[in-house]
Amino acid sequence: MNKHGTSAPPPRPQGGGDRCGSAGKGASLDALFRLFGRGADKLVLLTLLGLVCLFVLVPIVFIVLRSFRGADGLTLEFYQTVWQQYRDNLWNSVFVGVCTAVLCTLFSVAAALFLATRQRWGKLLCMAILLITMVSPPFVSSLAYIQLYGRRGWITHRLLGLSWNPYNCWGVILMQSISFVPLNALFLNGMLEKLDTGSLQAARDLGAKPAAILRDVVLPLLGPGILVSLLLSFVRSLADFGTPVIIGGRFSTIASEIYLQLVGYSNLEKAAAMNLFLLLPSIAAFFVYRALMRQTDRLAQAGRSRQEALQLPLRRCGAAGVLILAVSLLFFLAMVLQYGCIFLSGFLRSSREGYVFTTQYLKQLFTYDRSTMLRSVGYALIVSLAGTLLAMLFSYYMERRRVPGRHFFDCLVTLPYMIPGTCFGIGYILAFNHPPLKLTGTAVIVLANMLFKQLPTTTKICSAALAQVPTSLERAVRDLGGGQWSVLRDVIFPGLRPAFLSCFVYNFSSSMTTAGAILFLISPGRKLAVFKLFDAVQVGEYATASLIATTIIVLVLAVEGSVYALTTLGARRPAPKRS
Amino acid sequence: MYLDLSHLKKRFSEKEVVQDLSLSLERGQLLCILGSSGCGKTTTLNMIGGFLTPDGGRILLDGQDITHMPPEQRPVTTVFQSYGLFPHMTVLQNVIYGLKFRAYSKAQAREKGAEYLRLVGLEGYENARIYEISGGQQQRVALARALIVEPKLCLLDEPFSNLDAALRVKMRQELKKLQRDLGMTMVFVTHDQEEALILADYMAIMEKGRLVQYGTPLDIYHQPADSFVSGFLGLDDLLWQPDGSVWKVVKKEVKGESPC
Repeated sequence: MNKHGTSAPPPRPQGGGDRCGSAGKGASLDALFRLFGRGADKLVLLTLLGLVCLFVLVPIVFIVLRSFRGADGLTLEFYQTVWQQYRDNLWNSVFVGVCTAVLCTLFSVAAALFLATRQRWGKLLCMAILLITMVSPPFVSSLAYIQLYGRRGWITHRLLGLSWNPYNCWGVILMQSISFVPLNALFLNGMLEKLDTGSLQAARDLGAKPAAILRDVVLPLLGPGILVSLLLSFVRSLADFGTPVIIGGRFSTIASEIYLQLVGYSNLEKAAAMNLFLLLPSIAAFFVYRALMRQTDRLAQAGRSRQEALQLPLRRCGAAGVLILAVSLLFFLAMVLQYGCIFLSGFLRSSREGYVFTTQYLKQLFTYDRSTMLRSVGYALIVSLAGTLLAMLFSYYMERRRVPGRHFFDCLVTLPYMIPGTCFGIGYILAFNHPPLKLTGTAVIVLANMLFKQLPTTTKICSAALAQVPTSLERAVRDLGGGQWSVLRDVIFPGLRPAFLSCFVYNFSSSMTTAGAILFLISPGRKLAVFKLFDAVQVGEYATASLIATTIIVLVLAVEGSVYALTTLGARRPAPKRS
Repeated sequence: MYLDLSHLKKRFSEKEVVQDLSLSLERGQLLCILGSSGCGKTTTLNMIGGFLTPDGGRILLDGQDITHMPPEQRPVTTVFQSYGLFPHMTVLQNVIYGLKFRAYSKAQAREKGAEYLRLVGLEGYENARIYEISGGQQQRVALARALIVEPKLCLLDEPFSNLDAALRVKMRQELKKLQRDLGMTMVFVTHDQEEALILADYMAIMEKGRLVQYGTPLDIYHQPADSFVSGFLGLDDLLWQPDGSVWKVVKKEVKGESPC
């Protein structure tokens, strides 16, 4: 089959779309693209941009408008009420946010440095622990916290015989900090991996001891990343309602109050106004975040990628090194305890003599909740495939085409990354609860919400992969006689293959595990696993909750494992015959 | 002898990268280690710099055994191929970084930093950021940073490989002058025959981990040890300066172009 040769001279009569069989599919598709190419191309682009506007911009506009809309015209009434009524909650949110940001960043930096300096087995083990935390649903730390350190906790009550009240703001801060660590730690570890070995060697060469290298080179180069970690943790803490609802006790933040207003009283206006108090700092944080990310790119440009472990013996790094070792070991120990507790407590029943092994909860789960689990997996698969496709197309148009207003659209797509899930969810309810676009109560609204909340990350993954594909390859295809379609098929898609796996994995685990907005959008008849988990934790069915969490983790790992196996097998298969 | 390598050995898993390497150098001389990629020249340099520990043999510098001394304690500095400049610091901060670990006050360090910046022709760039200056200027910063601590030995790992041809020739001359003026002992690793012949007081030609020939450029030119050396150098003729050092190299391969 000679694909490129036949497609070179444009005006040949075989160019119609009806001769797929005879002249090689690639060539006729190229011809098709030439005939309808411009139109189809424009159509795809406009659809993409339209979708982004509809599902990102419109909800945000609606939430802003709604919070100002009184009985007659514009009003600040809701803001005044919120400000007067919930000033304490606001301060609580800020206090928890700041404490969490600092504590979480401390943990994250320590864990990242620990991870980066480990060799083979140590590194694999730490990565495995972080991987499990990445694919586990929210509320897991809170759930483990109650079971380990609660009123009847395994450690506080059974082991130490204490009887204390764990439901307070410090518990919230601690649990938020711990559950935000993995993402930050992996991000910082990525930066450490890109660190220029030359800089470290040079410092050592000039007489710097490990402690000085850490202080003068490693930490300053990590600087923008540390700020990003602070910022992300702060915003995520502001948005997190699950932790304060579960273990806050009488302590409540703005996010948990929004949850109450919406689920308890169905007060949309008030919830919208309260959300603006979250939205404004998030959008501000978003712009700082973008500036910081540009800076990390610049610092990393001098570096090259590096495979081996970071040459920095933490034990010889003085007080800072000891602190890092202690904090990171504490973190990994806490993680092991947490997941040990979750995995075990699904199979243990407490009785007078202690705990006995039981499969009773497992049976219950299989009989009552199988459809929920299947639905969750189904939704996640849809979001993964559609989301990955969308991200690939979007990054292609943004990176490789001079689309007018691309900075605006790039910014718009990235925005949901920082917007609290509750905000995004309420925006969807407000925007899509009346004709012509009545989506509330359908599966579409849930899927769209997940998809666009995850699009910032997947687009970034695809853009990074595309940046690795030199434009000269595209030119070479055109030069040798291939059309736009050949460029896509022979250059762009193969270049995006590694990104496909990352995107799919990210989309799938996020869809299976994020709660944020979904809690408000889901209709009673179509519950998802995360929703059941939240219910179970709230009513105190800890064994069931643990089992649901375990099942989600196992499911996510299984699906992602098989996709990984499929794509790597696909990559190893000998290349299909060409020319 | 000032620098004395005796019977150095290094192997990575099964491959012997450096086999029984011995050579020595007088104070104030510049040694070029020349060889194609994978011949073990950078490994040798890393052993002298302390970033690799030899599997056998000894390194003496100024009468002191430094074989097992960690890099931060060795009186040896390196100009890395990728420069290894600190991207978060200014030019001056980069240059005076090594003085932090020696008894210098802030003011003294700044003064000395300005002096070395002048030496490498970067006056006025004190507060520039690393990513704001050109490749050639980065090269000079790396050089000043390595020289300011007054090491007993300065190592250069293919320092000019990232520069364009014209700049390479210019930097070559500047380096030679700087080395003479400071009386600095240097070991320079390169795969560029011309560069080696022009810079070197002594040349060491390596092949597959072995030292094939060691001597002055003049010796090697007149009496290449074997056909490998003569083939590798690929020389047609050398043009000499009055002081006996090489001024220009005329290569065999030049065909159809007018020889410069």
